[in-house]
Amino acid sequence: MNIDHHKSFQRMIDESLAGAISAEREQSLREHLYTCAPCKEYLGASNRVIAGLGGFSFEVNPTLNARVLAALRPQAEPTRKILEHHPGTRRQHNLQFRKWVALAVALSMSVIGSELVYQVAKHLGVPMHFDTAQVQAAVLVFWLLPSFCSALCLLAAPGVKRGIV
Amino acid sequence: MESDPQRIARGLRQRDIVVLEALVEQYQYRLVRYLVSLLGRRDGVDDIVQEIWLRVLERGGSYDGRSRFEPWFFRVARNIAVDAMRKRPMLSLDSNDEEGGRSSPVSGEPSPYTLAARTQDAERLAHSLQSLEPVYREALVLRFQEDLSLQEISVIVAAPVSTVASRIYRGLATLRPQFEGETA
Repeated sequence: MNIDHHKSFQRMIDESLAGAISAEREQSLREHLYTCAPCKEYLGASNRVIAGLGGFSFEVNPTLNARVLAALRPQAEPTRKILEHHPGTRRQHNLQFRKWVALAVALSMSVIGSELVYQVAKHLGVPMHFDTAQVQAAVLVFWLLPSFCSALCLLAAPGVKRGIV
Repeated sequence: MESDPQRIARGLRQRDIVVLEALVEQYQYRLVRYLVSLLGRRDGVDDIVQEIWLRVLERGGSYDGRSRFEPWFFRVARNIAVDAMRKRPMLSLDSNDEEGGRSSPVSGEPSPYTLAARTQDAERLAHSLQSLEPVYREALVLRFQEDLSLQEISVIVAAPVSTVASRIYRGLATLRPQFEGETA
């Protein structure tokens, strides 16, 4: 086997160790390693480097954790207390819930209100000689649609403006 | 059920000191090891560690918990370390200069790698590691000590995956001669 041939397999060993090799090439590399002593030696030396990297143990100052936590606590706690009173995530959930409740109430009021307005308009329409279809159209245009649109606006408007936060 | 990254993300969002304590406990040694690989020295690391944890607390809300915590954490650590190096120009890592950025140990003092070597192989690597450019040392530590993927490392070092891979190859190539001719 020529040097270039070994070099290409040694390159594959590097790729394999770096996690940058395809399954196909890895299989081909495995097969090559069964029969090639120089490439096996290359892999062995590479593995010793990697094992050697794990042979260092850096001393961590025993007071470092305490110092870090002492610096973190004042920064974390006050904010956490604020969050406990006005927790962002809970507020988000509450906001969502309130938004849908508000919409449901608004839609219900819109429908019930329309029915009431229709009944009143029907009674008032008789002496004025309006027929039922005209009353229904008037209620639809002047009451039901505006109130329905208002309910939808409530859904789209920011919570603060709606006064529900 | 909430996964570990999600639990960490929630804890950081809520600035939960219990979660922070657990993170400090779990990552402190790994952080120190990573910083030594970047700086090539041990002194000054403790101050940077403290600054990093404060930044983690401050910016914790930006970690969304959708991916592993390590890439986000080491990215924050790297940014602080690079800033610290700008203030105290011991070496230039932020330029991602493949040829520059050699660490400069304080003269007369043994290197942090010599002091930290616990095995014979580590002792043999100590000198070469100290003279290795930080970007290669960093890539080796993240890949083989932190067990991060090339994609995760590329996020940390803000470089393409191909660049990260070539740093790993070159780092290995520099250290490998220490053991060549000894293994069957």
